[in-house]
Amino acid sequence: MAAAAAVRAGVNFTQRLNRISPVCRVCPLLRLNRCTGAAVRRAVDGFSAPSRRLRTSIGVCQSEDSSAPEEDAHAQEHIVNVVYIDRSGRRIPVQARVGDNVLYLAHKHGIDLEGACEASLACSTCHVYVSSGHYDRLPEPEEREDDMLDMAPLLQENSRLGCQIILTPELDGMELTLPKVTRNFYVDGHVPKPH
Amino acid sequence: MAVSFALSSAERLGWCFLRPTTAATGFRRAAGNSAAASVSVQDGHRKLKTEADLPEIKIFTMLYQMLFKGYLNSVHELQLYQKQVYGPLWKINAGNLQGISITSVELLEELLRKDEKYPCRGYMTLWTEHRDLRGISYGPFTEEGEKWYKLRAVLNKRMLHPKDSLQYGDVVNAVITDFIKRIYYLREMSPTGDLVSNLTNELYRFSLEGIASILFETRIGCLEKEIPAETQEFINSIAQMFTYNMHVALLPNWTRNYLPFWQKYIDGWDGIFKFGTKMINLKMEAIQTRLDTNQEVAGEYLTYLLSSGKMSCKDVYGSVSEVLLAGVDTTSNTMLWALYLLSKDPAAQETLHQEVTKVLKGDRIPTAEEVNSMPFLKAVIKETLRLYPVVPVNSRLIAESEVIIGEYLFPKKTTFNLFHYAISHDEKVFPEPQKFKPERWLRDGRTRPNPFGSIPFGFGVRACVGRRIAELEMHLALARLIKLFEMRPDPTVGEVKANFRSVLVPNKKVNLHFVERQKTET
Repeated sequence: MAAAAAVRAGVNFTQRLNRISPVCRVCPLLRLNRCTGAAVRRAVDGFSAPSRRLRTSIGVCQSEDSSAPEEDAHAQEHIVNVVYIDRSGRRIPVQARVGDNVLYLAHKHGIDLEGACEASLACSTCHVYVSSGHYDRLPEPEEREDDMLDMAPLLQENSRLGCQIILTPELDGMELTLPKVTRNFYVDGHVPKPH
Repeated sequence: MAVSFALSSAERLGWCFLRPTTAATGFRRAAGNSAAASVSVQDGHRKLKTEADLPEIKIFTMLYQMLFKGYLNSVHELQLYQKQVYGPLWKINAGNLQGISITSVELLEELLRKDEKYPCRGYMTLWTEHRDLRGISYGPFTEEGEKWYKLRAVLNKRMLHPKDSLQYGDVVNAVITDFIKRIYYLREMSPTGDLVSNLTNELYRFSLEGIASILFETRIGCLEKEIPAETQEFINSIAQMFTYNMHVALLPNWTRNYLPFWQKYIDGWDGIFKFGTKMINLKMEAIQTRLDTNQEVAGEYLTYLLSSGKMSCKDVYGSVSEVLLAGVDTTSNTMLWALYLLSKDPAAQETLHQEVTKVLKGDRIPTAEEVNSMPFLKAVIKETLRLYPVVPVNSRLIAESEVIIGEYLFPKKTTFNLFHYAISHDEKVFPEPQKFKPERWLRDGRTRPNPFGSIPFGFGVRACVGRRIAELEMHLALARLIKLFEMRPDPTVGEVKANFRSVLVPNKKVNLHFVERQKTET
């Protein structure tokens, strides 16, 4: 009988989960940023209703939801332009939105910023350098972010954890440089240039 | 030691209002340069040594050191002795204890930075044998590989994410309120009217009630005047498992049929899982009842695990009991050491009291957010964990590739013993290592210690899943106790030292005077 309880509850969750995943993964219109109004509304509805109930998905839903295209009139007000500079030095401009998380944004654009602990603040693999003009506009890190940053290799004065950076309008133009190494630099054999 | 356990006691972290000054910034850069310097050694084309070049400790040497040099009950101190004799790196080949021992912070950092995608704690044979024997699933400490990663991804939600752990503030505060009631009751019963005897036991009950309230979403009665029989049996089972763990680790397997230790060890585990399984079944019945009557199923951690559909019932039994087990001894022992250290350091205690009363005016109970703004409180817990790391030794198995550590090349599947106690007592990392100095952890511009010198939760993705809960429990409890009481040592007890019982426990009963503070002070 107890097993049946878990199974039934699991089925309920699975049903709710199914309503989300097709839109998240399959819809090519969202990825290509070419949507009709109807598609936009349908997608937004699909995201917002479940996320009110599925607490465990809030982070992901918020990230996805904030990327949904909005009517042009309002879209401009929420755009934040940032530039990722990857480990080879290549500059990757990204048009993002207020409320986007720097780590999830990087993943969305295929930028190799690792997030091993999935934003649990248990590792420092999403370590980035923030451009000096914008570093002071970020909120002070909490001590536990500092504790993780202490353990990041090649720490610099302008180091932060990407998973703790949420984009605001004043961060427009921010450059985020990925360190040459993250977790495995001894294994990679790469020799970072001394500063 | 190949024996290794998860960590689940911790410091609470919070907002730091002071911007780092040049000194702190310089230290951070220095840390980076130090890592770079380590890397450059690799490029010198030096001929690498192998483990055959390392000093080796075999079974007879180990037994001699433990029995005749007196380290049997203080295996953590043995780390310091062996470090003096063998240097920062040596090999152990003693019965079930196998591996390369690391006792320098630089080598520890080097190893941990080479964690694989699915870091391996090492062969948890002593824990897994019981699971295999009884058909119980592995949990976050015993599982390995991709299955471990998926398991942790489920467990981390609602527990490790910082904003999720804040939700448990009210649950923990309710338990602390009952604990404080019990403290008042015990004081009144004592000859002097303010003495709490055998604080170890009281904190154990508090800690178990706290973690069980979160994991099982119900109270289990540890803070009642009479503990329910099943709960007491569970407490005894944990103690039994930990007590006999070392015996089982040291003795060869063929002795299991002749000596009582293996059976006692297995009985301990049986008691642990019996209790955990019963509590989970009760919750499953409650969920079933609500479903049958078309009611909403709402709840916290256990309900989330059972309803997420990502873990089988069998997995829930294995994982929840493991998290519960790891959460009790570790948190209660750290609280005990913290209170003991504060009782012997009136200046530190007063500094903490001032900080707490500045944030908490009047009779208010702290919230989870408010303890975030008490840096000295967190520093006290960090320093306690440095002096008495609840898990003084951990391990790592590098399974997928060979690895270079220092000047040595090790083959794949090498097990490393991480001797955290020796590292956290290294005077090069922590000047005056035997002294309780919470201020070393403050972020007020001072030069801070190497962060790998004290990692009570571990490092990286394999770090302890329960750290936020443990932090929350200890910070809230310590803040509230210090606000109400001044801690004074019981002169008849004398100095308390640590014994190794897989975790570091006091070597005698600890009594403390809880002297009620005058109201005018608040």
